[in-house]
Amino acid sequence: MSCLNERFDRLRAAYPAEMASSLVLPLLHLMQQEKGHLTESDALHIADYLGVPAMQVKEALTWYTMFHRRPVGRHVIKVCRNIACSLMGAERLLGHLTARLGIGEGETTADGRFTLLAVECLASCGTAPAMQVNDTYHEGLTEEKIDRILEELP
Amino acid sequence: MIELKIDNQTVEANEGETVLQAALRSGIEIPHFCYHPCLSVAGNCRICLVKVDGRPKLVPSCNLPVAPGMTVETDTEDVRAARRAVMQFITLNHPGDCGICDKAGECRLQDYHVRYGEEESHSREPKHHRPKFSDLSPRIVLDNERCLLCSRCVRFTREVSGSHQLGIVERGSHARVERLEGRPFDDPYSDNVIGLCPTGALLSRDFLYKSRVWYLEPVRSVCTGCARCCSVNVWRRQREWHVRALGAELNRAAYRVTPFENPAINGPWLCNKGFDLHRRMARKRALTPLIGGREATAEEAVQEAKRLFAAAGNPAVLAFAPASNEELAAFRDGLGRRVQVYTREDYHTEPGEVAEDDFLIRGDKNPASYSIRALFGNRPYAPAARHDLVVIWGERVDYHALGGAKLIHLASFEPAGETAADLLIPVSTTFERSGTFTNFEGKVNRFEKVFDKPAQVLHAGDLFGRLVP
Repeated sequence: MSCLNERFDRLRAAYPAEMASSLVLPLLHLMQQEKGHLTESDALHIADYLGVPAMQVKEALTWYTMFHRRPVGRHVIKVCRNIACSLMGAERLLGHLTARLGIGEGETTADGRFTLLAVECLASCGTAPAMQVNDTYHEGLTEEKIDRILEELP
Repeated sequence: MIELKIDNQTVEANEGETVLQAALRSGIEIPHFCYHPCLSVAGNCRICLVKVDGRPKLVPSCNLPVAPGMTVETDTEDVRAARRAVMQFITLNHPGDCGICDKAGECRLQDYHVRYGEEESHSREPKHHRPKFSDLSPRIVLDNERCLLCSRCVRFTREVSGSHQLGIVERGSHARVERLEGRPFDDPYSDNVIGLCPTGALLSRDFLYKSRVWYLEPVRSVCTGCARCCSVNVWRRQREWHVRALGAELNRAAYRVTPFENPAINGPWLCNKGFDLHRRMARKRALTPLIGGREATAEEAVQEAKRLFAAAGNPAVLAFAPASNEELAAFRDGLGRRVQVYTREDYHTEPGEVAEDDFLIRGDKNPASYSIRALFGNRPYAPAARHDLVVIWGERVDYHALGGAKLIHLASFEPAGETAADLLIPVSTTFERSGTFTNFEGKVNRFEKVFDKPAQVLHAGDLFGRLVP
């Protein structure tokens, strides 16, 4: 945790001292990058570090769906299932991914490589259907394109 | 002063006040769940929507500052339709289990449902279930299904008690009030959230299923837990609901204690020790006079006390009971003039209790300290004075420390020691008489009689005039 605290310190230096609570989300993101998923004890750690009430950090952690609260695979695939993507075949693509990876929505493959999530709007309606793999957007998807993307992943 | 019109009534309001506050002060009822006068405005429940002239949509009145010439209507057809819709939404996943809910009868949600809601739900979906009857703390039961997410309890821990121990986690229909898993909800003011809750989501473990609230009635009393002397309501069974099947004990029980709003002393709040007042009062009472350990009548006890006084050459009184101002005055004018008076503090911080804070809890755990000091100063018992008779008026006195004098003990509760006093005279508790206390700031606070005293118990105030021969 000490290495993480050094990264916390660097980020904190960029914020005015009285704005500790503005750091809650950036620190949660940093911590998730480091640990993969976040638990209540991580929220307590950040609260203690910032000197803000632990409940405030837990509320932020549980409100935002981009924080994982269960262990995830090396690659997190988020398939948009909102209106534009659904009209362009998102359900079919989800079905394709489910069949190919052998896991359902919200599940992780046994080898720990992939986690499959269905998410709300990725703000890519003009290029629907879209999905996000880790931090990369993939748009205008087809089954073939998805296969290619998966094969190229490490 | 700002003048505005609410329901064709001209209302005067202060700058910065909200329409809801101005309306309530003028006796105009606008329903509200999340608004509470002592908490910040959350504006989340939407039941307080009103129509404001010149605004296209209905506006939540709790978050609407008054403005000169504003015209507000609180009971038009579109406001009523909005309330019906809000009630539909709020009760969408409410289990409607009023039949087994302690809050029924004093539930804001139930009252508004009757007044502003509709009989049937519009929803054909099954209700969404959430955790039921979980222990928020050993003192409080949480039913997330009944919760309407008004956040009053959460705001209380943030803005009033400052413990920050409650929050609303998750979102949408999964949102729920919760504490941290690893940390207890041990806020010393936690029980206030039970009364703040506008529905039956937060209930007292102690009062759970003890009684329907409509059988009970409150009596204004004072908490004797510390020198703050907060105002409380002690809830007893209404006379017409005394029934033989319950037995004498339940007909004459203090069922619960809640804060009595007293702006000068405690506002609408109370600490958990105050909420436990009835439990402290339910300790084993001293009910029968004992002469040398043998049972006697009250009259025999008084005669015995007179005899002991007549035989005594150097009597003293050790005073520090939760004595009311009236009892202390009676004591000073009667017995107090003829004997040496010593003072002591009966009650101290118990293990696990908050010693003192900057909100309500005082370090001095004795309610009558201020008056006793004003009347008798601070005079600890001096064994060197070789008293041959000591009257103990209070509790928790070690008989052996009084140096072999004859002892008369005026006690409300059964003395803990193994040895018996030469004479034990049971006296009434604050629940069995009315009177006043003066708190540490010199503010006088009144308490009313909750129950009649038992037959062989005497009022200490009546006794002092009779003891001297």
